[in-house]
Amino acid sequence: MLLADFGTSYCKLLETDSTEPPRLIATRSIDRSLKVDIATGHNGKRYTSHYVNELTALARGGLSLIKEESFTLLDCGSRDIKYVAYSGGKIKDMGWNAECGASMGFTIELLEKYYTLDFSSMDIPESSFSITCGVLGMSHIFDAVVTGVSEAEAVAKFVKGIAINAYNFAKRPEKVYLSGGLCDNPLFVGSFPCPVVSLGRFVLLEGLQASLNQNK
Amino acid sequence: MASSTIQRAGIVGIPPLSIMELLATPEFKIFDLDEPQGKIDIETASPFLPRVYCGILRTVIANSLAIRPDIIYIDTGSGKCDCAVHTATVLEDMLPDTRIVRTKNQDSIDFGTPLCKTRMNLLEKMAAITATVQNTAPYQELTSCKPTAGFWGVPPRDFSILNLFPDTTHIYGWARCMENKTPDNLDLELHYNPDIPTVFFAQSFCAKTALARHLAGKHPHGLYLDCDVTAGNSAKAKIQAFLELSNI
Repeated sequence: MLLADFGTSYCKLLETDSTEPPRLIATRSIDRSLKVDIATGHNGKRYTSHYVNELTALARGGLSLIKEESFTLLDCGSRDIKYVAYSGGKIKDMGWNAECGASMGFTIELLEKYYTLDFSSMDIPESSFSITCGVLGMSHIFDAVVTGVSEAEAVAKFVKGIAINAYNFAKRPEKVYLSGGLCDNPLFVGSFPCPVVSLGRFVLLEGLQASLNQNK
Repeated sequence: MASSTIQRAGIVGIPPLSIMELLATPEFKIFDLDEPQGKIDIETASPFLPRVYCGILRTVIANSLAIRPDIIYIDTGSGKCDCAVHTATVLEDMLPDTRIVRTKNQDSIDFGTPLCKTRMNLLEKMAAITATVQNTAPYQELTSCKPTAGFWGVPPRDFSILNLFPDTTHIYGWARCMENKTPDNLDLELHYNPDIPTVFFAQSFCAKTALARHLAGKHPHGLYLDCDVTAGNSAKAKIQAFLELSNI
């Protein structure tokens, strides 16, 4: 069966009958006539007749991958952030910020390319910008550069501001399990004010697999 | 002509029973101004109330502008909210030809809550509850169902979120006070069932958001949710996921 998480910037596809790892395809390159057996992601409904809500997929993915009864799992995507919190094995809280906390992942990727930075080699700054939105937050970078701060330092403060905003959005947990493409960004992961366990960008695919198993 | 003598009476919140008995005569046509009355653009309220304000009271202003009632009974007691106090002042200046009557509903006779506990499509159930405001007769008995989910809060501005719940959802919070005709009954408003997954809902920018979030935190299986004028995809996804993940 073909499982897919159709994200804003990247689509993740998994063929369950194959031993190959999941494929990552830029959303702009995806074949619009593609049909999959089960899908999630904000773009997913057009590609399948079996659609799973993103929060449900995230939660089920977390339940498959995390061996604790109480946890907070935060997914930082290109366009939005969302989290689920379990307490004693029961769903306790969740949130999905698609508007005013939006475009964080997309903006971070854009800035890395625009300023030709390498996030894997950048130091985590001591302070951060106060940021609630990727787009609005960019003005902080421009303002800081004008006052003599290096582009790299300004972007690092921006990234840390985004991490802190995401942490606050998830209600400041003691530990964060992180999902999404930003797991691969050490500057972002290291900017959280709490321990972070990175689960990678295929957590929602794991949730789709769990949904399939539930329906069997 | 008899029709020319019919007065258009707007109501905001739940006026006292004595007022509703007065209005339940052929001389009055009642408009529940809290609810959308046809295709009235809520943005027409923006010159009179801030955009960042309770969606229900913005609806009141938009409805009042479109309907221009002869008289408006607006409850400004603690069974409604402080925002209604200020909205009454705005209405007075906005509609000089409309008589604005402030009420403070402290009715304490329990009419019962059969609708809140019966098995029915939740959207239809909430619509039936809001319609009880205009009904002054004692309620019919209805069979209670075993609840599988709970909805705590006020009737939402956007009823479409109610379609996501099962028919066996019980209603709690101010909507239950509404059916009971005791809008200023905090004990009843605070009541919830800790044994069923419950969504604690409030309109964005409403003071009840504090209570909804507080109770959701106390409830062993509660989810806090607030929405403004219309519920977006993320709000609907939260409800859907919460119910799915609670095995409902």
